[in-house]
Amino acid sequence: MSRTPSTATPTWHHFERKLEDVKPSKTDINYLVMDYLVTNGYPAAAQKFAVEANIQLTTDLQAIQERVDIRTAIHSGDIQVAVEKINELNPQILDEDPSLHFALLRLQLVELIRVCMDTPGSDITSALDFATSQLAPRAPTNPQFLSDLERTLALLIFPSDKLDPALASLLDPSLRKEIATRVNQAILQNQGARKEARLRNLVKLRAFAEKKARDTKKDIPDTLDIGLVGDSNNTSNSNDLATNVSDILMSNNSDNDHTVS
Amino acid sequence: MSARGDQQPQAMGLARPRTGSMHMELDGQTGHQAHTARRGGWLGEDHLSFFTPSYLRQSRHVQRLHRAYDEHVAEVQEHARLNPPKPQSLSASSSNVNLHKMHAAHVHQQRPVVQDILERHPPLSEEVDRSHPLPTRWSEEDKMVGLEIQGEGTEVRFGGVTKTSDEAASIRVDHPMPKECGIYYFEVTILSRGKDGLVGVGFSTRKAALNRLPGWETESWAYHGDDGYCFAAQASGKAYGPRFSSNDVIGCGVNFRTGEAFFTRNGVYLGVAFSGIKSEKARYYPSVGMKKPGEHLRINLGRTPFVFDINHMMKQERQTTLANIAKADVSTLHPPDDESTLIHKLISQYLAHEGYVDTAKAFAKDVHDQEQSLSDEPQPFSPPDSDDDIHAVNRQKIRRSILDGDIDRALKYTSSYYPHVLEEERNRDVYFRLRCRKFIEMMRRHTDLVTATSSPATVTKSVDSLASNGHARTDHNRTEEDEEEDEEDGQDTQMELDDQLHREASRPLEVPSDDIDMDASQELPLKASFMKKDDLLSSALEYGRELQVEFGSDPRQQVKKELQDLFAIIAYPNPAESPIGALLDERGRGRIAEEVNGAILVSLGKPSSAALEKLCAQTEAMLDEAAAKAGGAAALVNVRDDFLRP
Repeated sequence: MSRTPSTATPTWHHFERKLEDVKPSKTDINYLVMDYLVTNGYPAAAQKFAVEANIQLTTDLQAIQERVDIRTAIHSGDIQVAVEKINELNPQILDEDPSLHFALLRLQLVELIRVCMDTPGSDITSALDFATSQLAPRAPTNPQFLSDLERTLALLIFPSDKLDPALASLLDPSLRKEIATRVNQAILQNQGARKEARLRNLVKLRAFAEKKARDTKKDIPDTLDIGLVGDSNNTSNSNDLATNVSDILMSNNSDNDHTVS
Repeated sequence: MSARGDQQPQAMGLARPRTGSMHMELDGQTGHQAHTARRGGWLGEDHLSFFTPSYLRQSRHVQRLHRAYDEHVAEVQEHARLNPPKPQSLSASSSNVNLHKMHAAHVHQQRPVVQDILERHPPLSEEVDRSHPLPTRWSEEDKMVGLEIQGEGTEVRFGGVTKTSDEAASIRVDHPMPKECGIYYFEVTILSRGKDGLVGVGFSTRKAALNRLPGWETESWAYHGDDGYCFAAQASGKAYGPRFSSNDVIGCGVNFRTGEAFFTRNGVYLGVAFSGIKSEKARYYPSVGMKKPGEHLRINLGRTPFVFDINHMMKQERQTTLANIAKADVSTLHPPDDESTLIHKLISQYLAHEGYVDTAKAFAKDVHDQEQSLSDEPQPFSPPDSDDDIHAVNRQKIRRSILDGDIDRALKYTSSYYPHVLEEERNRDVYFRLRCRKFIEMMRRHTDLVTATSSPATVTKSVDSLASNGHARTDHNRTEEDEEEDEEDGQDTQMELDDQLHREASRPLEVPSDDIDMDASQELPLKASFMKKDDLLSSALEYGRELQVEFGSDPRQQVKKELQDLFAIIAYPNPAESPIGALLDERGRGRIAEEVNGAILVSLGKPSSAALEKLCAQTEAMLDEAAAKAGGAAALVNVRDDFLRP
């Protein structure tokens, strides 16, 4: 993205005025935040927010907590526990989504293999048994399953310190995170809720809108700070933020190099 | 040929864009003078009520047009109220174009003048025009001689004759299709096709001459009924769809994202007819042309349901757009943050900014726990930096007070925590509105009591809100000493104040606990509440006079108007249902609470809105810019409906 200093553009003022005109209501923003807390599973915050912002909680906290517990289990590698909890909620969730079910089983295999790798000389039989009994029968139903299974088993063959990046990525916590997110979405969808928080969509829309607006070559400020500088909880930074934002917004000068770090 | 030669300049002359000066002139007319302006040109602009085509209900652009229209209507009504019409204006108030054109003077309808003015005036103003209104009817000016408009501007009939084989009569509607709609669609019903007739349905710019069928002329595109061909600005077309004739309904749509146009026949989609329709500069008007006397068409611009399921197409188009948005790359927004890091920062900053202290802490803890569950090395949780906490707590208290409708408490808190904020010149209006809000709250309590006396079920609630909130009686007694004390005694008083106010705050105004409820209903029969009610009214009046003394001398029209509206509340027995009822809405509390919060933040050297709010506003503003320039995907997204609402 090119961030050249601006030449004086009077239309900036037009744009800035517009920003004031289209300012969202606090009710809308509060909804957005609450929706995120509920959807992405932050029960304590959701509870506090309901009180402080005077919002009715439409989901019961227990339901959020159940999703959080499943997420925690997956994050910590207790896939068996997670699968049981999911089935307690509703066995349909995995029955109706073979791809998600396979992904969980595959992650479970990764975790079993991880244990073997972490303890030298340990027995790989349990990992192999699991692969044979749980994954192998499902693999033929989908070419992707088969290649995922093969890739996972390759972990057993290569020495753990010489894994190629694609294989090493299987052991990265980000895989657990990704699967946990998918599970959360599947549960939400199964319960008739929206699977993604509105705020996630909005952030994407912000990026999309900027691209569209710049594509039309409309005069919008060259730098559009979203108003976050460093750690938002930090007082001194907040003050910087105030000056920084107002500099960017108010100034028509070209020698203004406040860019967000 | 001579006839044609005569006609063309005339048609072309009429086809010129409507000039601003004419509209300004008309707008300048006061309501009671409007009836004297009977020039041909603007009768064609006669507008019925605003309508939203079904497929555009979620369109940001149309919602905005609707708001602008409503505001305009309110203005015109206000104007009519202030300038009562002279009696004779009624006699000339028929606004039915066709009747007028047919010289059917005897059918004058006696219509209320306000309605008359409304129908003529609204979308005329320059401002609204620049805002790209929706087409509403056939244009009286932008048509070939021999075409007659009927049916409130929806029908057009050819009564003339054509001399040569390629001569025809075309007409356009009053406004171009706004590309801000994303897709624009309309339908034309062939009421009657002449013998060996030829009808073309499509769209054109003002550059296309009107003495030939659309499709044959430069900058015109159309589907012709005699051969089913479609024509893109040239005499030779391509085979496209079936022929069409009397009683067929032909739909035409332009997708400004793809630059494609399509037609439908009797509700059946016929496929893409044209592509490469450039939307950057040109303005396209729905248009039809016909050749034989007696040919008669009716256009539906969305006032009535369409035959083709355009709603479904629009829905799919919106889904395509939303799917594209979901693919957007957010990594450039606030590098190096990924999506969830960015979102967490936005939320934390918003919570801190707004003073949601407990939520901010709980959120930090929740996020920490989530990250911990992924990590092998346990990290102790360290709560967020709490330097700001004291301010956040203070601001939260002030907000709570206003949201509870207790303006006195809010004023006390504000003057003790931030003694000078409301005195600052730039916050004069905030202070003014806060003071006004107190009057509104007094009148609200009064109204509650009035309604309560007529419906016993709510008595206890109202009585309690009075009883637990002594301010009603002591409001105007809030003496200067009190305030001085607050300021002089500093910390001790502040704690005392906190303590005292906290006790009040902890007792909800509107939701009495059971025992209070019972006590109140036993001890305060209806009669007593009548008494209280009068007390309340007189203290409100007294407070109103204070307001008048303090702010009445403000020279600004806005302040005068606000005070005027405020005092008008007294005039209504049930203000909540009066024209100024919106003033009493509880949501007004939220707005003033935000203004006060914003003022305090600015005084602390912080931006008045949080990053999350800014992000929203930027998104909306940029979508607007993009949609206005190119229509397309940006036009189909409604930030509020698609992204902010449940």
